[in-house]
Amino acid sequence: MRDSLKEIWTTLSHNKLRTSLTGFAVAWGIFMLIALLGAGNGLLHALLSNMSEVETNSMEVWPGRMTKSYGGLKEGTWLSFDMKDVELLRSAAFSDVIDIVSPQTSTSATVTYGREHVSSNINGFTSERKTIDNIRMEYGRFINQDDEKERSKVLVVGSRMAINLLGGDETNYRRIIGRNVIVNGLSFKVVGIFHTDESYDFNDSYAPFEVVRMLRGGDDHIDGITFTFHGIRTEKQNDRFEARLKKAIAVTHFAAPDDSGVAYVWSRFTNNMQMNKAMRYVRIALWILGIFTLVSGIVGVSNIMLISVKERTHEFGIRKAIGAKPWGILKLIIGESVAITALFGYVGMVCGLLACQIMDKTLASKPTDLGFIQMYIFKDPSVGLDVAMEATLLLIVAGTIAGLVPAWKASKVKPIEALRDE
Amino acid sequence: MALIELKDVNKTYFGAQPLHVLKGINLDIERGEFVSIMGASGSGKSTLLNILGILDNYDTGEYRLDGKLIWNLTESQAADYRNRMIGFIFQSYNLIGFKTAVENVELPLFYQGIGRHKRHMMAMEYLEKMGLTAWAGHFPNEMSGGQKQRVAIARALVTHPDIILADEPTGALDSRTSVEIMDLLGRLNREDKMTIIVVTHESGVANAADKIIHISDGVIGSVEENRQHDSAHFGEGGIIK
Repeated sequence: MRDSLKEIWTTLSHNKLRTSLTGFAVAWGIFMLIALLGAGNGLLHALLSNMSEVETNSMEVWPGRMTKSYGGLKEGTWLSFDMKDVELLRSAAFSDVIDIVSPQTSTSATVTYGREHVSSNINGFTSERKTIDNIRMEYGRFINQDDEKERSKVLVVGSRMAINLLGGDETNYRRIIGRNVIVNGLSFKVVGIFHTDESYDFNDSYAPFEVVRMLRGGDDHIDGITFTFHGIRTEKQNDRFEARLKKAIAVTHFAAPDDSGVAYVWSRFTNNMQMNKAMRYVRIALWILGIFTLVSGIVGVSNIMLISVKERTHEFGIRKAIGAKPWGILKLIIGESVAITALFGYVGMVCGLLACQIMDKTLASKPTDLGFIQMYIFKDPSVGLDVAMEATLLLIVAGTIAGLVPAWKASKVKPIEALRDE
Repeated sequence: MALIELKDVNKTYFGAQPLHVLKGINLDIERGEFVSIMGASGSGKSTLLNILGILDNYDTGEYRLDGKLIWNLTESQAADYRNRMIGFIFQSYNLIGFKTAVENVELPLFYQGIGRHKRHMMAMEYLEKMGLTAWAGHFPNEMSGGQKQRVAIARALVTHPDIILADEPTGALDSRTSVEIMDLLGRLNREDKMTIIVVTHESGVANAADKIIHISDGVIGSVEENRQHDSAHFGEGGIIK
């Protein structure tokens, strides 16, 4: 074994250029494979982290604009949602699909704590919204049913807002909990802090739905309605349900029953499905790219080994003349091929993992500013060591296969013909 | 029983025009003989040597080596015969360029599965016999033609083969070195009772042998006992006669 390895090493070290060219093809192949997998994972992780914020079996519906004149109302008339729409969704007409209905209203207000003033968008939510939107609490609690019943003036603030209210205290902002803040001249008690990303620069806060309506002057206006549903499993079912919903809203608002513009519907379910589809495509694309990279590596190794065998025909003739058996030649070529792929595959693997680290430190370190929001479009671009090892092992197997054809050719060459070859 | 027995051996190369290179060769070579096969270029002498060395197959006839019929051997069997029974010396040395002299000599032992240390010792012993101890670590391109051929001889001898087959062993050497090499082969024959078959087109080289076989157009013309052979005869004044 040691002798065979030495023999392989002697041959490889003698043909430095050929070895390094072959090795480069292999190292590049595995490097690209790991870098691609890392980049793809970064993309997928970012998508997943964005998706995990909300329940996927929920929809949001906002009032829209009539796209046709009907019942004395002109085309282009904006609809306005009120509690009738909430009742509609809570009614028996939709009980087959809709579970929890959570209306939403909002107002802008100045929130004051001590000497600090913060302009906040206060969202009026019901207690169910925490589950629907998967709101992550850092400290304290969310709005509960008692708050709703008693119309308590409680406020749940975002971590960014808590920091701003405490004059930028980023370390101990939880102390805002239990304190009273002034909202448009009224005293509100801060009962909880929900998580906002560091990059999130808005001072959002939540208060009970009815309390925010009161802040708005008691009007009946509703910004939108969020609800959870069951029984929708395909995009087709989703489309049918959306059409049914819009028709019901249109009838309630005296618009044309077939006017699809009366409401905007955002289904997190279809969004999720589209995301899943996108991820599936990304994964497939990565696999295809990976396989092509691997194949090009194999072809590269095989090509160079074929050239090498051709160049070394005379040498194999000498070896055969002095006693090398076909298996000995086969073993030598495959051994060389495996040694090159293993050694340079390892180098490529290490470089690929390094590239993933660099991507993590650069591209994935900061969220991308999309203008209205900052979000991660690249997150944790890592490849597990197991995957990297598997990829390298795969390449070694591929190297064996790549070496097989040239080795077979070399082992089959007749010694007399090989000796004549110069 | 002769070491080498050839009965009615024929060989044809099938190309655009079939070429019948060996036509019914009958030949017996005894153990310990020093034989020259002499003939002009294209006479079939090298083909005959290749068949004797199991580097090439014959079409019809019978070839027995040490009593064993050499026919329809697998590549592995042929390799085994070559490794254990035959030592080759070629005109162009056929050393592996990226291996040192000692590594070249070790190679046949490597294929016998002999361990590294023993292999090295044996190779060094034969290099010493060839007066090349100091050149053991050198690559072929750092050596003269004569030195390379002596490395090739050491490689041929290191497995203690039954026969040495030399194909124009002095073809690439100057006269003085040719004398040295033929002297060496003569000594191996006389002192170690080694069977040596040399293919050559030079009468001076052929004269070093006990028996000269003349081959012409694929047929053995004559077999001549050479009782007056002496390296001095063909090497006198450094000029091969």
